[in-house]
Amino acid sequence: MKHLDILIVDDEQRYADMLAKRLGLRSLTCKVCYDGQSAIDIVREESFSMVILDLRLPDLYGTEVLTRIKQCRPETPVIILTGHGTEKDREQCMANGAHSFMNKPMDINRLVTIMADVKESDRHGRIAE
Amino acid sequence: MAESLNKISGTLLPQFNRSDDEHLNPYYTFQDYRQTWGMTIFTLMTTALLPLVVMTLIYYQLIETSINTESLLRTERLASNARRAVTFFLEERLAALTFTVNEMGYDQLTNPNSLAEVLRNLKLGFGGLTDLSVIADSGTQVTYAGPFNLEGKDYSNQPWFIECQQHNACVSEIFSGYREVPHVVVAVKSMRPDGRFFVLRATLETERMIQVLSSYKTGEHADIFLVNRNGLLQTPSQFYEGASHQVNLPVPAYSDRTKAVMSTDHSGQPILIGYAFIDTKIAPTSFILMVIKQKAGMMKVWLDLRSNINWFFGISAIIIALVITLTSTVMVNKIFQADRQKAETMVAAERNCQLASIGQLAAGVAHEINNPLALINETAGYVRDLFTIKQQYKEDPDLVEHIDSIIEAVERCGTITRQLLGFARHFDVQSQPINLNDMVADVINFHKKEAEYRNIKIQVNIPETIPLIETDRGKLQQIILNLVNNAFQAIDNGCFLDVWAETVEGDEQVRLFIRDNGCGISEDHLNKVFEPFFTTKKEGHGTGLGLSITYGLVKKLHGNITVQSKTGQGTTFVISLPVKLKEEIHV
Repeated sequence: MKHLDILIVDDEQRYADMLAKRLGLRSLTCKVCYDGQSAIDIVREESFSMVILDLRLPDLYGTEVLTRIKQCRPETPVIILTGHGTEKDREQCMANGAHSFMNKPMDINRLVTIMADVKESDRHGRIAE
Repeated sequence: MAESLNKISGTLLPQFNRSDDEHLNPYYTFQDYRQTWGMTIFTLMTTALLPLVVMTLIYYQLIETSINTESLLRTERLASNARRAVTFFLEERLAALTFTVNEMGYDQLTNPNSLAEVLRNLKLGFGGLTDLSVIADSGTQVTYAGPFNLEGKDYSNQPWFIECQQHNACVSEIFSGYREVPHVVVAVKSMRPDGRFFVLRATLETERMIQVLSSYKTGEHADIFLVNRNGLLQTPSQFYEGASHQVNLPVPAYSDRTKAVMSTDHSGQPILIGYAFIDTKIAPTSFILMVIKQKAGMMKVWLDLRSNINWFFGISAIIIALVITLTSTVMVNKIFQADRQKAETMVAAERNCQLASIGQLAAGVAHEINNPLALINETAGYVRDLFTIKQQYKEDPDLVEHIDSIIEAVERCGTITRQLLGFARHFDVQSQPINLNDMVADVINFHKKEAEYRNIKIQVNIPETIPLIETDRGKLQQIILNLVNNAFQAIDNGCFLDVWAETVEGDEQVRLFIRDNGCGISEDHLNKVFEPFFTTKKEGHGTGLGLSITYGLVKKLHGNITVQSKTGQGTTFVISLPVKLKEEIHV
């Protein structure tokens, strides 16, 4: 099974592409998709170190996608990145196993730091194994 | 003394009399509390006092009727008794004369010695006689026994003599006659053996009759006397003697029974008149016995009692009125207070509603801007990445600077949209302990130069006893900054700005006052200053969002903001904040 670093799920195509490009520049391999259902399908097929998920998607609401991803791959950290997250959304996402909750526009360095942390803990986890 | 009076009037007079919150008027349940209060008191008073008044009046009526009846009865009885006495007095003497003429006959009676003997015996037996005389049928006095020398006088034209001829006996009116001393004549007619008649006449002392009458007089205001049928007084009257011995009361109409009637005297005083026409069995008389009693005298006991009842009634009515007023005031005040609270809540709700709608609008705008903003951010970030990571165009440092300024601008926009979103939501509240003094000093610092330049005195007095406030630093700073900005816009050069603080509610709340002596806010505008888009500035000079956002921020920090202002005198904003913010959600 192919292993990629990051799956970006966002209905704003240009935004998702640009984010993928920027992360690519930082030596992170990314895959992009623009709706909820294909995100769920992709996660079933492939494994990722991290999923970046928007809440407002054309077909499914982000929280629903989050739940399905977590059912399928509970170990994959999911970062919610949204332009209009309410407090209720945040609470719900964190309760459903989101790793963190960020608002757009965001600082890419924060994302990179989180990614580094995830990789670090992953490596530790593997060493422990 | 004045203080206790104020207190009493404060209890009795309702508070709405002093209320002046006109902006709350449309929200009150009752249009006019003054009227409601008045109507309540009027209705209660009427319900409580009217039956009492009616009952008292009926009671008075009953008592007066019964007293009147009783008085009439008593007067009538008195008149009846007096009549009997007078009648008896006259009858007794007439009977004695009748006996004498029948017993002795004309011859014996015309003997002066035996007539004197008869007079002596009669005086001994009955008393009240002055003299005796025998008068022949021609009217000439034949024999006389007594103190005056009236022998040979002619009585043929005297009314009593004429009457005696007709009725065999008579009682005269009281008159002076030949002797010029008031007296009454009683006379009986008898026949001589030769068929001619003669008259035995006795003169009675009027003193005895007056004595008999006055023994029936009861009370100071009572009067008892005899009048003839023309109203001429026969015995003296204490109160009712008019001109030429005429009684100044109407002469009653003839009645064979004793009667009592109500009337008024010449001065309009109510009186009771008891009267009786006196007739003896032997001869009729022209006497009318009159008993006069002043009603006031007879009613005195009742009037005294009535005055006591009136006092009792008056005091009870005052107590009832006081209790009713007090109760009404308390009740109407309570309703008013509740209604006022409701009205205040309605006003606040309306304001909140308006703020909520601007919040929704702001959130909507922020959402829509956020996405393109994020794209700009990432695009600019990508271009920057090209510089820093791929090291393209590294010879052109200018370009990096421009990109950086784009990213910086996006960050600033991001901050604004986040705050706009926060306007409607509890987002981004971060609690940390804040020294109010330091914060105010920081904010004032921004305006230091402007204050110096405009010669504005800023006085800050935040005592050290004010505890650290656990709240959101950024928001509190924005609140204070907004209000200080606001004050600076309102004041002219040379004015002052006072900032001070105090703790309330047992150190659980801090109150911050920001006062200026600028142009002030007119009363019409005072309740609108926190409404979104409300501004008095010229178009393009203010959005009308400053105070509205401040209001939202204070609410978010679980505080409260109020404003007091007078046009031309300045404005004071008061912010109350909890010392410890309740645990909130933080990002």
